[in-house]
Amino acid sequence: MTIENLALFKAVGAKMKYLNVRQQVLAQNIANADTAGYIPKDLSEVDFGSVLSKVSGKNKMRVETSDSGHMTAKEQMGNIKSGDQRATYEATPSGNAVNIEEQLVKSNQVQMDYTMMLNLMKKQVGMMKTAIGSSKA
Amino acid sequence: MSQLYDTMQISSQGMRVQSTRVRVISENIANAGTLPKTADEMPYQKQHVEFKNVMDRELGHKIVKVDDIKTSKEAEFDLKYMPSHPAANEEGYVRAPKINTLVEMMDVREAQRSYEANIGMFDQSRNMAMRTIDLLR
Repeated sequence: MTIENLALFKAVGAKMKYLNVRQQVLAQNIANADTAGYIPKDLSEVDFGSVLSKVSGKNKMRVETSDSGHMTAKEQMGNIKSGDQRATYEATPSGNAVNIEEQLVKSNQVQMDYTMMLNLMKKQVGMMKTAIGSSKA
Repeated sequence: MSQLYDTMQISSQGMRVQSTRVRVISENIANAGTLPKTADEMPYQKQHVEFKNVMDRELGHKIVKVDDIKTSKEAEFDLKYMPSHPAANEEGYVRAPKINTLVEMMDVREAQRSYEANIGMFDQSRNMAMRTIDLLR
């Protein structure tokens, strides 16, 4: 049993992956703040509570693997899609609709969520260390 | 984590593109007084930078690049009354570049703002990566 297989860590890991991708999308929006005709993109929202219940649910169904060539469905996270942002504040005459302030606010939010996830992970590991009884916890 | 490195690459490419823009604008300002040699020659033409979001196969995601550096569709000029100039026409007018320094300065400010936004994005992604690495401690 490794740490990644624990339900909480799975959910936290999924959220961190999501935040990484979102940060990438936001960076692309800002880099294209002066590209003609560029519409900013954002990720679709993912309910991570359901991810947690999915990975920790008792009656979880798994595809039977009866051959070495079979693969189990690893993807626990709902598919995240990056699509054009629907509501934009304004568009310049060149058709660019990136609002830098809006993008920066979003990326700040990403950073805060990311820090929260990291702290959550740290705390959890600390608790496990306490339970194990290592003096360094 | 690798997404965060990609994010930093996207942001740095955004900065590079903006610095190209500043270079072109400073060329425009520097040549605001460049007069032609003869009466029927055109003076220096203002240059515009165009950006484009293109797929980088090596990185596996889109980055912003300079699409083209163009002059205006039709040659433009202002007429300046300088009868003693070698390039003056019969009425004593010289064709001077149609460059408004104020407009160019505005453009520089905009480039600066975009550049700073990219730095902000870079900084944030770096922070996120650093904090993740700090989990090792």
